[in-house]
Amino acid sequence: MTLSHVHNQPRKPERVVVLGSGGFLGRRLIGACAKAGIETVGLGSRDIDLADISAGARLAERLRPEDAIVFLAALTPDKGRDSGTLMRNLAMARAVCEATRAVAIAQLVYASSDAVYAFATPLISEETPAAPIDLYGVMHRTRELMLAAEANAPLAVLRLTAVYGTDDTHNSYGPNRFLRQALKDGRIPLFGNGEETRDHLHADDAVDLILKVLSHRSTGLLNLATGKSQTFRAVAEIIAARAGRPVEIAPSARQNPETHRHFDVTNLLIAFPGARFKPLDEGLAAMLADMRAHASA
Amino acid sequence: MKPPVVGFAGMTHLGLVSASAVAARGFQTRCFDPDRGLIDRLVQQDWPVLEPGLDELIRGNGARQTFTSARDDLRSCDVVYVAPDVPTDDHGRGDVSGLTALIRDVAGAMNPGAVLVILSQVPPGYTRAIGAWPRERLYYQVETLVFGQAVERALKPERTIVGSADPAAPLDSRFRAVLDAFGCPILPMRYESAELAKISINCCLVASVSVANTLAELCEKIGADWGEIAPALKLDRRIGAYAYLAPGLGIAGGNLERDLATVRRLSEGHGTEAGLISAWLRNSRYRRSWPLRQLHERVVSRVDEPVIGILGVTYKENTHSIKNSPAVALIRELVSFRLRVFDPAVRASSEWHPRMTVSEDPLTVCEGADALVIMTPWPQFRALKPGDIAARLRGRVVIDPFSMLDRAAAVAAGLEHVVLGAPLLVHAE
Repeated sequence: MTLSHVHNQPRKPERVVVLGSGGFLGRRLIGACAKAGIETVGLGSRDIDLADISAGARLAERLRPEDAIVFLAALTPDKGRDSGTLMRNLAMARAVCEATRAVAIAQLVYASSDAVYAFATPLISEETPAAPIDLYGVMHRTRELMLAAEANAPLAVLRLTAVYGTDDTHNSYGPNRFLRQALKDGRIPLFGNGEETRDHLHADDAVDLILKVLSHRSTGLLNLATGKSQTFRAVAEIIAARAGRPVEIAPSARQNPETHRHFDVTNLLIAFPGARFKPLDEGLAAMLADMRAHASA
Repeated sequence: MKPPVVGFAGMTHLGLVSASAVAARGFQTRCFDPDRGLIDRLVQQDWPVLEPGLDELIRGNGARQTFTSARDDLRSCDVVYVAPDVPTDDHGRGDVSGLTALIRDVAGAMNPGAVLVILSQVPPGYTRAIGAWPRERLYYQVETLVFGQAVERALKPERTIVGSADPAAPLDSRFRAVLDAFGCPILPMRYESAELAKISINCCLVASVSVANTLAELCEKIGADWGEIAPALKLDRRIGAYAYLAPGLGIAGGNLERDLATVRRLSEGHGTEAGLISAWLRNSRYRRSWPLRQLHERVVSRVDEPVIGILGVTYKENTHSIKNSPAVALIRELVSFRLRVFDPAVRASSEWHPRMTVSEDPLTVCEGADALVIMTPWPQFRALKPGDIAARLRGRVVIDPFSMLDRAAAVAAGLEHVVLGAPLLVHAE
């Protein structure tokens, strides 16, 4: 199954409810909706704790039938990788299912992750079987199945690859951490020589694609990726060249086998002809500029 | 023995070409189809299919080859082939219901002592189960139709594969006389073996093409040229001079897809391992979108509101068929952009794309376009001069999967000439 559109010509959604509005992508999505003149309701964990037993009913009180929900809320691996975190994440999905059964809405967009895929496939597409290798991937896949089975709403599942951008609070291995390390320490440590490849998607591009999914009221499954993978070494070199200070790129002895990730984005190009992606060097340059401006403010 | 009179039932692509080849071997041939309108067209020499050499072949047969919509005209035939094309759906599943109905219809009209030969492609088990004709005079013959080369292959088959109830028993002498006229080896075997033999041939072809596609893509990434590698492979006796090693845009036309679907269905039913079939199908779908990915990378991501020219609509050259055509798929996928399209045999349908201009010649397609895509390797496209194309294009990109243009001339004309299985060459100023 890939993505199909209810509206072939884009239409402004009536109202968008963003679950996880305080997060990195949530804030950007709300800003982009405001810019596009789309009414939004942002709900963060302070508004409703989706893991709470009463969350479904409380969320339902906030919904209208014409709403589109964008479900971004999740406890990411930096908040915990254990089964307790998994169960809390699943409880959030259960709340969304309960709420949409109480109020049938226009669309449900779930921000899943490429963590549902194993690393064995050289080129990932929507046809690639989901085979998560950790509880975070299991969580996203289980949520996808829960929403498909129990939510009462036309569902779009978007599996996002590594998203980067200013204000990303996560500090996992990749562009965000490399930037901070380059500016703070003048040194970017690599696993091995940084040979591994990943597809890095700028947050603005991710938000733009989510808006497209909303405006076409799309349903189905789509991977959100650029189709252009780069080595971590290449990412480090771009940052080092633009950091404005000497930066040492520091290889290390490899502890784990090399893994690579490439995406076949044909279905994305078919779903959204003309979709464009910010080149990685431009995206990183923009992040550097933002970080410098923030530091000097 | 008096030369047998041969009947053919089903006058679509397979039946018409095969009957014409039998008539060309000197046999009186009666061509039947229940569709009177189709028979009227054939009598008027208005052929429903495009095949090089078909017109000359039928005209040369003269009175030996006759057309009729009266099934009783088959009563005088010693051997009757039933040969309608078997339609396939979007999942590659063949629908043999029309064939079965025609067999029963024809059997009711035939001389009870005649030979019935099923020529249409059928799934394994079909012939033994048909029950409409005594098995000692019921055969299944493997067809070798290749769109665009059908006449040549029908006249000069490499071998004839015949399925029979008892492969140890001699073939009926009348049927044998028809087959002997083609002067090629005859391989009798069980019905089921013959039915699977045709599928096996097609699986081997798909395997070769899938190998070529997989390695050709790698060539594009690492600076190798598959056009240099393939001739070396063909000189290897274990691979062969006629191996299908040209990279392409996936499987199309319907027949190969049907055979893969049949193998997968049988394997699922019998619990045999057939992961390879799924891999071939996945590779085929992926390769079909190669032009779209190239267009996105080189044009759509760089040019606002691009105009794109497309040459070729049919799934291959020298045919009218658009079944599973990569060109039609591409046209549909480019729905947001303005297109100009030309094909020598088929007029593109506005149902495929609302903003498409159908051009009357290949160079008009290029006028003011940001990119040109040559989707079908029609021979006449090979005659196009890259300089003429470059003079008319607004952009520089020519996506030419089958390398129809002279590569050196294209680069010299300043074109960004993108072909399957080769690194991008850029003109050195």
